Amino acid sequence: MANFDEIFGEQWKRSVEKICGASESSSLGFSQAWEIATSALKPRPLNEHPPPRDQALVLAAVQRIHKAKMTPFLIDSFLGDLRKCEHFIESEINESMGRYDASQDPNEVAQLIDRLAQWYKHWVPNPNSQSLYKTFQLAFQTHLFSFLPLSFPDAFKALLVETIGQPVESNVIVFQRFEVLGFLDRYESLLASVVYQQIELRVAETCPKEWTSRKLADLRTWLKEKIVPWLAAPYARGARTVEDARAMVSGIISRFDFHVCRTLCDLRIKEIFDIIVDYPDSMDALIDLKECLTRVDQRPQLVTALRKANHKRLLHPGADTKDILSQYVSTIKCLRIVDPPGVLLYKVADPIRRYLRERPDTIRSIVSSLVGEGGDLIDESEQPGPVQTVAEDFSDPNWEPEPIDAGPEFRTSRPSDVITTLVSIYDSKDLFVKELQVLLAQRLLAITDGNFEKERRNIEILKLRFGEAALQVCEVMLKDMTDSKRIDHHIQAQGQSIMHPTVISRHFWPPLQGSRLRMPGQFREIQENYGRGFSAFKPDKRLRWLPHLGEVHLDVELSDRTVSVEVSPLEAAIIELFSSKPVWSMDEISVKLGQLDHVTVQKGLLTWIEHGVVSDQGDNTFRLLEQASTSDVRPAARPMDIIEDTSPVVTTEQQQADQMRIYWQFIQGMLTNIGPMPIERIQGMLRLAPGYDRTVEQLGGFLEAARREGLVLFMGGMWQLNR
Amino acid sequence: MPVTSSDVGASVTKRLGSELMTLMMASSPGISAFPKTDANLFEWIGTIEGAPSTVYEGLSFKLNITFPPNYPYVAPVIKFDPISPCYHPNVDLQGNICLDILQDKWSAIYNVHTILLSLQSLLGEPNNASPLNADAANLWDSPEEFKVQLMRHYRPLKDSA
Repeated sequence: MANFDEIFGEQWKRSVEKICGASESSSLGFSQAWEIATSALKPRPLNEHPPPRDQALVLAAVQRIHKAKMTPFLIDSFLGDLRKCEHFIESEINESMGRYDASQDPNEVAQLIDRLAQWYKHWVPNPNSQSLYKTFQLAFQTHLFSFLPLSFPDAFKALLVETIGQPVESNVIVFQRFEVLGFLDRYESLLASVVYQQIELRVAETCPKEWTSRKLADLRTWLKEKIVPWLAAPYARGARTVEDARAMVSGIISRFDFHVCRTLCDLRIKEIFDIIVDYPDSMDALIDLKECLTRVDQRPQLVTALRKANHKRLLHPGADTKDILSQYVSTIKCLRIVDPPGVLLYKVADPIRRYLRERPDTIRSIVSSLVGEGGDLIDESEQPGPVQTVAEDFSDPNWEPEPIDAGPEFRTSRPSDVITTLVSIYDSKDLFVKELQVLLAQRLLAITDGNFEKERRNIEILKLRFGEAALQVCEVMLKDMTDSKRIDHHIQAQGQSIMHPTVISRHFWPPLQGSRLRMPGQFREIQENYGRGFSAFKPDKRLRWLPHLGEVHLDVELSDRTVSVEVSPLEAAIIELFSSKPVWSMDEISVKLGQLDHVTVQKGLLTWIEHGVVSDQGDNTFRLLEQASTSDVRPAARPMDIIEDTSPVVTTEQQQADQMRIYWQFIQGMLTNIGPMPIERIQGMLRLAPGYDRTVEQLGGFLEAARREGLVLFMGGMWQLNR
Repeated sequence: MPVTSSDVGASVTKRLGSELMTLMMASSPGISAFPKTDANLFEWIGTIEGAPSTVYEGLSFKLNITFPPNYPYVAPVIKFDPISPCYHPNVDLQGNICLDILQDKWSAIYNVHTILLSLQSLLGEPNNASPLNADAANLWDSPEEFKVQLMRHYRPLKDSA
């Protein structure tokens, strides 16, 4: 009892001397001493003060009782008195809590605690002795806690929350009261939970969807400025110096700091998909996440959450391949920030890569972004390097072991750039090169101004990635384009022609869309004239016309007007027909142009109807409008099912389907002549088909599809034709 | 430059491969042929069906086709397979065929596809001037009796290897 010793030390000494002397003279009888002691100790209501008495006398009386070995009885009697007074406290608590329940005002609790502290002070045994005080404290607290209603912890918590915002000085008093009443020991976990709650509240208030600033730093500042001073009151209460206090609080602070990291980490993990979508704006959030992850081991949660989000939001048929790719690229970039060795990325990327591999247009999307067609997948600043895998270098002095959660199949792929990662979705580069050719063909054919510099540059960049040899074909294609210009120059010099064809080498270009279109009338003449010029210039080469590709600038001279348009060759061919007679039926046009199907012809006719040059007479007949008729020009609604096929080049998908059609002929041939066969033998025999490179599994899938169509039967392990 | 036999073999194999491709892509109705195994391109099995509105309509016959090593300078040997005997004025009971382009009129410009087409038309239009099967040649002008004899000899093909 520090207070007592300090304050009363001197008096105590004198009193002891006095009592000793008194006892010798036995001036103080036992019954008198008992009387003095019990009346001094007796608890009274707050407004009632104990009769003023000489402290020394009381002390002497207690001493006397102690000498007579009657102290336990004195304590018993004191406790009995205390019990009789409990109802004061109980009623006060009930009243206060009743008011609190009604108003939810923490001030009620504060007042109650203030009152309780007063009661406590009032009843503290005076004079004091170690055993008496201990007993009193225990008894008081026991009674007090037994009176507190169930709702008190919540009320106390509310009060604690209230104190967080208060100045430190006022809090010191409040917390001293708490300590006196034993609340701090009893409700220590409550105290911690208040802080936890505050942290969670703070994170929920300030952090969600705020990815553009370093929230972790903000939170730590907040913790330091708001929470730490507050914590000093309960946790550093015995501290004498600032250093002491800091040492005492530091343990608990690091616990709360951990909670800050954990809460923020949980939040960011929940948001990770959108953070990736927002990259690079969400850079700060990612750095926060990285810092949190070093403190809190939430890596598995991150992987699970992101995989789940990807599965739900990305890897389904509703998502565009381009979007998936760009999200994948962002994921790569983001997770590299969070986890530079790439273990997280490896774990998250796998399902995306597997999904992308199944998408038919993945390669096309990647390649079109490679050549910079509306794709921002490639970072301009990224150094293009050859596509290759780099083995781990163990002699590297900066080598670090793989993170602990790296799986056995994990491979570090530090230096690879995004393109390499994308290309590595597939096992070989060949697929890319093939797709690249198709794309290049489309782009080259679309160029009309003869400026191939951009394409040439692309090819040069891609050469760095895929190697010179792989892109040789593309080189030839480019050369064809420039050669065409040269050839055209030469032939124009021999005899003017208004036609400027592109001459391409069939062997080096991907297959182009075929058409039966035959150009009629003057177009045919122009074409033939040019053909003659060409064979004179290059006698060893034969021209095969693809008249449906390209475009025609036409001036259609009618009796009252001239219509000047850019049209497709098909449209030009159709209007050319109308120059020989004014009314044509659909069938006639179709036959004249080389058995074109009606949909194609209709499409061409619609253009002219839109231009007001031809009108639809019904019954599939069409009439040339020599005189413009305002009434007849109706904006013909283009049927939705006629889709402009802008790409003249056959896609690799179509190429594959075409190939499979060839293989089907072979399968049919062998099954017709040799009879039923097991699949292995079919696979073996298909070696006879040029360019066959399918696996047995692929063949199996194909045969299965044929069986569903009723073309083949599968009986007793043998495949046979269904006749 | 001396031409070695393996060169010749390779060029014949190449030619046969491209003939197979042509035949497969032509997919003419009623005629078909395919190598017996993928290891030997010189032995083929063929199948021809009788052309519509001839007595052979609805019947199909198996052929054995053997290409000589110096193909296409020498004609392939083609016989009806014994599992599907063909009763025909120009086919003997052993399945040998009398067709001018397979003997003296052979030329390197013919190929499997043209041979099979010729055989298919031979079924409907026999050359009764040089019969290998005299009975059949005599009966040709009375279609009902010919059909009876034809069906007596014919054995329908089963789908078995």
